[in-house]
Amino acid sequence: MSVTVEGTIERKSFGPGTWALVTSDNKSYEILQGAPKDLFKSGQKVRVTGEVRKDLMTLAMIGPVLEVKTFEVIQ
Amino acid sequence: MRKFFLPCLFIIGICWALFNFKGLANQGTFDTIVLDFREDIPATQIQSELSEIAQKYHVAPRLNSEFSGADHLYIVRGNQELLNTLKKSEVAKYTEYIEPDYQYKAFQTPNDPDYSKQWNLRSINIERAWDDTKGSGTTVAVIDTGVSRVPDLQNTQFVPGYDFVNDREEATDDNGHGTHVAGTIAQSTNNGYGVAGIAYEAKIMPLKVLSAYGGGTVADIAEAIKFAADNGADVINMSLGGGGESAVMLEAINYAHGKGVTIIAAAGNEDENSAAYPARYPHAIGVAALDASGQKAFYSNYGAGVDIAAPGGSTREGDLGGILQNTINPETGESIFAAYQGTSMAAPHVAGVAALIKASGVQDPDDIENVLKQSALAVTDDPLNHFGAGKLDAAAAVQLATKGQITFRDFFRWLRDNGYLNPRFWIDGGAVALLPKIAMVLGSYLLAWFLRNYFPFRWNWTFGSGLIAGSSGLFFLRGFYIFDLPQWPFRVMGSSIPELGGAISGSSTLNPIFASVAIPLALVLLLLGHRQWKWLAIGTAIGAASCLAISAAISPAVWGLGAGVAARAFLAVNALLCYGLARLALKTEVEPV
Repeated sequence: MSVTVEGTIERKSFGPGTWALVTSDNKSYEILQGAPKDLFKSGQKVRVTGEVRKDLMTLAMIGPVLEVKTFEVIQ
Repeated sequence: MRKFFLPCLFIIGICWALFNFKGLANQGTFDTIVLDFREDIPATQIQSELSEIAQKYHVAPRLNSEFSGADHLYIVRGNQELLNTLKKSEVAKYTEYIEPDYQYKAFQTPNDPDYSKQWNLRSINIERAWDDTKGSGTTVAVIDTGVSRVPDLQNTQFVPGYDFVNDREEATDDNGHGTHVAGTIAQSTNNGYGVAGIAYEAKIMPLKVLSAYGGGTVADIAEAIKFAADNGADVINMSLGGGGESAVMLEAINYAHGKGVTIIAAAGNEDENSAAYPARYPHAIGVAALDASGQKAFYSNYGAGVDIAAPGGSTREGDLGGILQNTINPETGESIFAAYQGTSMAAPHVAGVAALIKASGVQDPDDIENVLKQSALAVTDDPLNHFGAGKLDAAAAVQLATKGQITFRDFFRWLRDNGYLNPRFWIDGGAVALLPKIAMVLGSYLLAWFLRNYFPFRWNWTFGSGLIAGSSGLFFLRGFYIFDLPQWPFRVMGSSIPELGGAISGSSTLNPIFASVAIPLALVLLLLGHRQWKWLAIGTAIGAASCLAISAAISPAVWGLGAGVAARAFLAVNALLCYGLARLALKTEVEPV
């Protein structure tokens, strides 16, 4: 299931730490390992296209796990 | 030869036992010593004595408290060695007493140095629960990122687990989360290092299903649940969640539940109205997180699927608000103490208490869930179900679990609650002083029994009276204080013949004339010709032998001889003389049985 999400990149303190994409209505996605490195900048606003992985569970439990395919920085 | 050899062996045995008898008073712990200076010593003299102590023993004497000035009550840091030295030193002359400053403890507080930072453990009343159980005999499966044997897990017991991510037996951690969770459940406690865990005598079964980045597949997790159920886990902790409903997962949870496993899962960290899977499944106990103030943690899920609330902490305002355990640094693999937050941290609190409940004798997972919920501290105003049944309470849970079971611990608690286990009862209550007396009576009977093996004689009341008079007197009378009556007659009746010398004046120092073979010898010489009364004399000699031997071992203060080797030797020689006297008297005057 491909989705496009807009939001801000944030580091969340669960366990040793997890990257999240937080939308304007405060919904969080957990970014799956393997996303492009340039994405991981705290405070960066981005539009991400990817897939929600329903077969995964995580220790962070901050929201749906998003496997990022592409992203663009927005202002 | 045998007749000579055996008594020697016997006396050596008794002496060895007596010299090794340390008494109850020595079993307390202390790291300070109290010095109470006499009231008649001028303050300047006290100050000069104190500065001498400070110089000589490199200690810093100080007043016990701001109220101790009038009593001249000072304390210094020190051990048994310093205590003995001080007691023998010049300073002792100026004091009323020098004694160990025993530490009294209300509950068992672990000696782990950073236990004081674990607000979370105190908030679930763990210390009172530890009085009953520490989870011994139970196994908790940690389905997580694996568990590494960090230093503060060295004393924790492990059972074999499995790494479902890399398909191998060894399930070590490469993230830090699983090791932290295992620490909350069973961190090595009372090991003088790091921090404490809840059920620290329970065994950990490490099951790795989450990779280094912290995610894993539903298929692996379901397999791990079945592995735990098949390999003897009593409790499963799952500090993980997400995805959707899954038939595979539901089936695995029902399978484990059917095998008697209690399943605990974290509610999730989305601050959403409903718990994440797997906490949502009916047979999983969903755990929401509390912060250090006891409120819902800012991130915790709530609503449907939340069964109970436990400390998960919050590190928003700093590490002090988090849950502190020993884990690994994922970058380097080194051991660190890290403060984490999350419902991931709340779930293992409940898993640990579930292990305590199981260890208390509750078997069925539904019963364990009921005990957890009924014992939780209910929050009455909770419209959004932030707390489920309430806040986790380990002490109440264990108490409820053991209700109706009369255990040895109940008896022990009864002793404690009634003060019998309080060192004060034994030391200040004077019970310790009774022990030498009891030893004297027992010793005299042992000697008599022993002599009878060689010189058969009949026990009679004069002999029994002699034993008591010689060994201990009617010692219980010493504790009698009746208004307006003089106490000395009780003291005299309560003393044995060797102790009579000091009884009237009330001194515990032995008089060398009374505390010797002299009186038994006089009695034997006087009474040996009398058919009945000679037994009083023989009994007295045996009793006195026991009394003197025990005095030589434990309180050898003799007037004119001090309390050292000379007094000990004097008493020991006289004890042997009394024994020899009794033996001689029996040998010549033995009656046919």
